[in-house]
Amino acid sequence: MIKCHTVINGVAEGEALVTNKPLSLWGGLDPKSGEIIDRRNALSGKNVSGKVLVYPYGVGSCSSSATLLEASRLDKAPCAIVNLETEPIVAVGAILAEKLYGKIIPIVDKPDINPSKVIRTGDRVKVDANKGIIEATIR
Amino acid sequence: MFLTNEEEAMLNGEYGEALEIAISVLVKLGDIYEADRMIEVENAHIDSSSYFIIGESGLNLCEKFVNLGATFKVPATLNPLGIDPHRWQEFRVSKSYVEKQNRLAEAHISLGGIATWTCAPYQYGANLRFGQNVAWGESNAVVSANSVYGARTERLGDLTDICAAVVGKYPRFGLYLNENRRGQVLFKIESDKLDVKSFSYADYAALGFCIGSLAGTRVPVVTEIPKSVTWDQLKDFGAAIATGGSVGLYHIVGVTPEARTLSEACGGLKPEEVISIGVDEINETREKLSTTTEVKADIIVLGCPHYSVEQLKRAAIIVKGKKVVEGVELWIQTSPMAKMLASEMGIIDIIEAAGGKIHISGCFTMYNYAQEWGFGTLMTDSAKNAYYSSGITGVEVVFDDTEKCIEAATRQRS
Repeated sequence: MIKCHTVINGVAEGEALVTNKPLSLWGGLDPKSGEIIDRRNALSGKNVSGKVLVYPYGVGSCSSSATLLEASRLDKAPCAIVNLETEPIVAVGAILAEKLYGKIIPIVDKPDINPSKVIRTGDRVKVDANKGIIEATIR
Repeated sequence: MFLTNEEEAMLNGEYGEALEIAISVLVKLGDIYEADRMIEVENAHIDSSSYFIIGESGLNLCEKFVNLGATFKVPATLNPLGIDPHRWQEFRVSKSYVEKQNRLAEAHISLGGIATWTCAPYQYGANLRFGQNVAWGESNAVVSANSVYGARTERLGDLTDICAAVVGKYPRFGLYLNENRRGQVLFKIESDKLDVKSFSYADYAALGFCIGSLAGTRVPVVTEIPKSVTWDQLKDFGAAIATGGSVGLYHIVGVTPEARTLSEACGGLKPEEVISIGVDEINETREKLSTTTEVKADIIVLGCPHYSVEQLKRAAIIVKGKKVVEGVELWIQTSPMAKMLASEMGIIDIIEAAGGKIHISGCFTMYNYAQEWGFGTLMTDSAKNAYYSSGITGVEVVFDDTEKCIEAATRQRS
């Protein structure tokens, strides 16, 4: 179990997609399909829809908020996001998704253990942002 | 966070639904990032002007604000449309897309936006002052406003820029605060081995991308950059640093206004880390920005961020008397204002005579031009364009100096 700080409240469970590389959702995630399109990232080609997306922090574009919002509208967004440090740009995408479409994407950051050291892509993970914990379930 | 009586009333809907939506988003964000209160902003730069980026959700929100009678409380410049508004057919943008983009553009104008349609409003259209609180989106514009002017803005996510401009405020956290503007990582350029005085635009872009990637979420301070560095070089450096990292502010000692000395740049503290940047780092970055070594570009794009008049002039000098070869496109992206000035100076005629296309308010990453045209390989002098295009448009990418890019466009193929 990993303790973390709540950015956006909510609870979600799903398969983890884990990368050590920072990611820009704009130019890195196709909101229409949910595919990671950052060709320089090891997750390139993987689909985030309904998954728990684990990456250190967002880089690059201010447009990542819009990318997350569009992905949410099209039901292609990750079910939860776990960062070392969540950038306000991504938090805003989730705030708007809830405000405009009632869609919740729990987001947590500042974990007491680096999640990429204990969670692998494919592991089932539960993110309880209300309690501020991440639990890996079945391997 | 503390809210004034007026802000509370706005949040309760007493000033109408648009302001309620706008301020509720800002207050929620402020609470997450522990803002103590809201601050007034003197102007805004809106990054939400491209339909390719904000899609139906963004268009719906903008049109909703218009229908609710909202207007921008502060001067708000606008980012690229992503299409040339007059010549979109020539650039093969679909009519159905143009209809959506036009609706979005009209919504922005109805809200009171200033029709700059550029990602470099700090060069043409916007006004900034040292220490001024503003609300800017567009990562390269944010970093330029903070670093080159010493104005203060957070990195606004798309659509919060609309909210901030409608309210005239933003929550006070991040780069609005002195303590968050301190340089944290020192990057020492090995100027004895790197001839920084002769750096090209692409070299500065590579340097920026390298530093951004290494800085991550921390504020970088750079030494050994000559005072003779130009505005356009800082522009390309900034765009790249903001692409490589989560960087909204950098300091260059002796060059940028909050960094008259290293001590001032670091707020009187020692930097947490010192990193040397030499020949290897620049070369590795330049290689990393390309996805292929085969220089068979069928699309050459310059102007990311939008070229200034000076850069257009330089491109004209290089391309004069040459011709873009058949089967290859040369697009130069710029703002409407820079194009107007350059037209008067005869610069545009020279570029167009050579077969180059001026793409005003356009952006190669803001529409799938590659798909419409069947492009396979992009060549560009922009680190930002190089980085994003491979994902967004599926092209191979070659990153190189402006001269090499123009040469590739005009060199006869065997």
